[in-house]
Amino acid sequence: MIKYIIRRLLSTIPVLFGLSIILFAFIHLLPGDPVAALLGQHATPELTVRIRELLGLDQPLWQQYLGYLGQLSRGDLGKSIINNRPVIDEFLIRFPGTIELTIAALILAVGLGIPLGRYAARHPQQLGDGVVTIISLLGISIPIFVLGLTLQYILSVQLKLLPTSGRLDPRIDIPTVTNFMLVDTLLAGDTGAFVDALRHLVLPAIALGSIPLAIITRITRASVLDVSNEDYVRTARAKGLTERRVDSRHIMRNAWLPVVTVIGLQVGGLLAGAVITETVFSWNGVGRWVVEAIQDHDYFVVQSSILIFALIFLVVNLVVDVGYAFLNPRIRYS
Amino acid sequence: MSLTTAERAPGAAARASRGLWRDALRRLLRNGPALAGLFFISLFVAAAILAPVLAPYGPLEGELSGRLQPPSAAHLMGTDLQGRDEWTRILYGARVSLQVGVISVLMAVLMGGLIGSAAGALGGRVDNVLMRVVDVLLAVPGILLAIGIVAWLDRGLPQIMLAVAVTNSPIFARILRGSLLANREMDYVIAARSIGASRLRILTRHLLPNSLTALIVAATLALATAIIDVAGLGFLGLGPPDPRTPEWGTMLTDATKFLRQAPYLIFFPGAAIVISAIGFNLLGDGLRESLDPRLKK
Amino acid sequence: MALLSVEDLVVRFRTHEGTIHAVNGVSFELEEGERLGLVGESGCGKSVTNLAIIRLLPKPAGRIEGGRVRFDGQDLMALDEADIRDLRGREIAMIFQDPMTSLNPVLTIEEQMVETIQAHRKVGRDEARARAIELLETVGIAQAAERLRNFPHQFSGGMRQRVMIAMALALHPKLLIADEPTTALDVTIQAQVLELLRELTESSGTALILITHDLGVVAGMTQRINVMYAGYVVEMAPTGELFAHPSHPYTVGLLHSVPRVDEREGEELIPIEGRPPDMRQLPAGCAFAPRCAWRLERCWVENPPLRPLVEGTPIVTTGPQASHLIACHNPPTPDEAASGRPTRPGFSPAPAPPGLIDELSPRSNGVPGGLADLVEAIEAIEGPLSAFPSAAGLPLPPAEEGPDGER
Repeated sequence: MIKYIIRRLLSTIPVLFGLSIILFAFIHLLPGDPVAALLGQHATPELTVRIRELLGLDQPLWQQYLGYLGQLSRGDLGKSIINNRPVIDEFLIRFPGTIELTIAALILAVGLGIPLGRYAARHPQQLGDGVVTIISLLGISIPIFVLGLTLQYILSVQLKLLPTSGRLDPRIDIPTVTNFMLVDTLLAGDTGAFVDALRHLVLPAIALGSIPLAIITRITRASVLDVSNEDYVRTARAKGLTERRVDSRHIMRNAWLPVVTVIGLQVGGLLAGAVITETVFSWNGVGRWVVEAIQDHDYFVVQSSILIFALIFLVVNLVVDVGYAFLNPRIRYS
Repeated sequence: MSLTTAERAPGAAARASRGLWRDALRRLLRNGPALAGLFFISLFVAAAILAPVLAPYGPLEGELSGRLQPPSAAHLMGTDLQGRDEWTRILYGARVSLQVGVISVLMAVLMGGLIGSAAGALGGRVDNVLMRVVDVLLAVPGILLAIGIVAWLDRGLPQIMLAVAVTNSPIFARILRGSLLANREMDYVIAARSIGASRLRILTRHLLPNSLTALIVAATLALATAIIDVAGLGFLGLGPPDPRTPEWGTMLTDATKFLRQAPYLIFFPGAAIVISAIGFNLLGDGLRESLDPRLKK
Repeated sequence: MALLSVEDLVVRFRTHEGTIHAVNGVSFELEEGERLGLVGESGCGKSVTNLAIIRLLPKPAGRIEGGRVRFDGQDLMALDEADIRDLRGREIAMIFQDPMTSLNPVLTIEEQMVETIQAHRKVGRDEARARAIELLETVGIAQAAERLRNFPHQFSGGMRQRVMIAMALALHPKLLIADEPTTALDVTIQAQVLELLRELTESSGTALILITHDLGVVAGMTQRINVMYAGYVVEMAPTGELFAHPSHPYTVGLLHSVPRVDEREGEELIPIEGRPPDMRQLPAGCAFAPRCAWRLERCWVENPPLRPLVEGTPIVTTGPQASHLIACHNPPTPDEAASGRPTRPGFSPAPAPPGLIDELSPRSNGVPGGLADLVEAIEAIEGPLSAFPSAAGLPLPPAEEGPDGER
């Protein structure tokens, strides 16, 4: 088992390296001159040269790359070209927002998806199954921004049930400790604010979680159906076990496996979807920040953010793979 | 036995596989949801192709004085923020989506397929390296990758196509590689090799056709994703460079600003995207069921 | 009173492509401790019959649509779900064909055995575990205590089947149903597992129903044999009697299609012509008629009931004196049974009435019907084949020219 973990870890490293090279090249192979674009009309020759020196853009490429790696190893992700603040700081301020949103969406997707999938598998070809299938289909066919905008309009503008955007009512003033709204409001002892934070979380979580929900529902349904037809389920029944036992120990224990893998893959989709969701709901998170950075040509921000996203994604997948190996003895003992 | 017998074996196999296609077609035509999907797709394609015929106005035609009008007899879907007929822009928007969608997926199949075929056919270190490259691509979550590419290469239709293509190519690489690896050691391949058929010939006449069904299903489903991706890029402001080009995603961004006054401007492009995506998803699922030889009964 | 009594059992499956008539009025009985063999080809209903007995048919497609099953005095069809569940594993146990897929891959052997025991007895985990070790030792698995912690994929095929047998016999059931227990195993292991099965059922007095398509397996294991075809029992007799005097054309065909060590040299293998019937559309007459070399006109229209071979003798259902029953209008004579073909002068099988397919009819190029499909497939690739058979009895390509004029 340990060997498996180490092997997986080792295979992650080249990917990260490859990615860092690509991202590095990204900045330096851009059409046009980033510095010129940055300075706009203020670009005089001397200023351009000075800024280049400052940003280290005048060194040979390989030197810059090594410098970049050195920086990364020190945890220095560069500075935002726009406001000159360290990328890492800006990232850490906004990151909890994205995490909160992503986790809320994941809880929704898994918490609803698995029960729905199981239900559909237990009543195949009947009405409930049909409804679940339609929900699934809609989930993957409705883009996040369409769903988000529609939800905003119906529930927020028309019915005025939930707030339109943002993370917290702007009139509420809470000291920001962790930047996790739910945590900070609790720390401040303000239950009203906590509820408000929750209310702001609902629509974005639904919009973001809709696609993973659809996919998890589908895979759960398929997996449970497949496993239910396996011989060992028949054996379990022939032994006289109760349906409950057959379901929990024999069907679900085996049906979990593909579902777990899919959940891991969905995390990547969630990170990507967060970008759009944060834009639609003006949610203060990393996703929206990256989009703005791209539009502002703030390249160091973009480079480092993508690298971090990729790192998160790879770590999550590693955890999922290890979890899978843990659940599936055939991999554990091979 | 004549020397050309083994050469004629593919002929018999081709005849057998024609039976497979006919059978699959029959099953597909009996599949309700798949037919519904085909219907939606045909709406989409008809809108794209017949836009000039069906549209009452030009896509850029409009006066500010007539902006943000709700649906009426004159304007079936109302007018947008610049007074242009929404129905017309939806129809022309279908062109962009269809064009970019189809070309992106074709590019994705080519790129992914080439990488996957090389990896599967050559194996060993080539396989390792190529799959690492694919892993790197997969490590960056979907839309971010597309955003990155468009941002890198500047806005423009070809760049958008490339971005969406790259984002969707890993699946095709996996399919081709998997299929080649699985079939390489099969008896019929060894038999063909034993009579001296060249590797390329084996590849093109035996191995590739076997991956065809998985490719077709994946490509259909990828079209749904591509349409959504293109609209997503448009929504984020990375769509076609000319702001006047009707594109469903960009139309949604514009509509966002007028959410309260003109909510219908969100509904129509949104519905168009959803209907097209549902169509390809339904067809893709239907194809998967009818082309799966195991379910032959 | 018999331990198990099956009366006119009818089982059907409803599918998209029609209703499958899997079991069509099967009746037999079984005494305590008796060993019965159920023989027939795939799809003849032998497995389905037994799944129906313990009400384990795949839902919702499979349904018992007639007949009765009595076990130990109880009507099994009338029991509610909880009661039949109590019976399964405790009084009636079943083991299946493929031991790899029949064991849960994510649970240890210990967990799977303990849960069986604890499902029916109120015992603590330790006690159940001790019993499991005991059982594994009985079936011949060494280092039982350690192997309990293994997973199914860490055992070989034969050992897995032993584990299944151990689990099945854990609660001393009165009846053990073994569905093709050795089909998926190597030949050498087959003999071991069968021997184990025989020893254990004999020593514990457990009745056994052994399902198989292999006559060789039942020969040494069972006291009586039922031969099944297309959901009917076509012949029923004590084992020795069946092999000595096979009387149904299908049984005769089975015996002659398998090579035997004691055959005289030069004796040919005679395959049973034709294909198994379509279980969605069984004929009104005898289901075997299309493939039967002894058929009369009557056979095409009237399905023969199961009757004593010697008319008028009283029917004994179980035990070594059980009657020899067959379902046939025109059973082969002992000589014909020995030679495998009808030998009475002037006899030829009755032709098929219009609308029904005769699986025995020769094709125009002189190839017997059963090989016709194969010939067609070859001809599609090779071109026309000559009608003159080679020494092996198979057609050859034309000797002079290949299809392209090459040799």
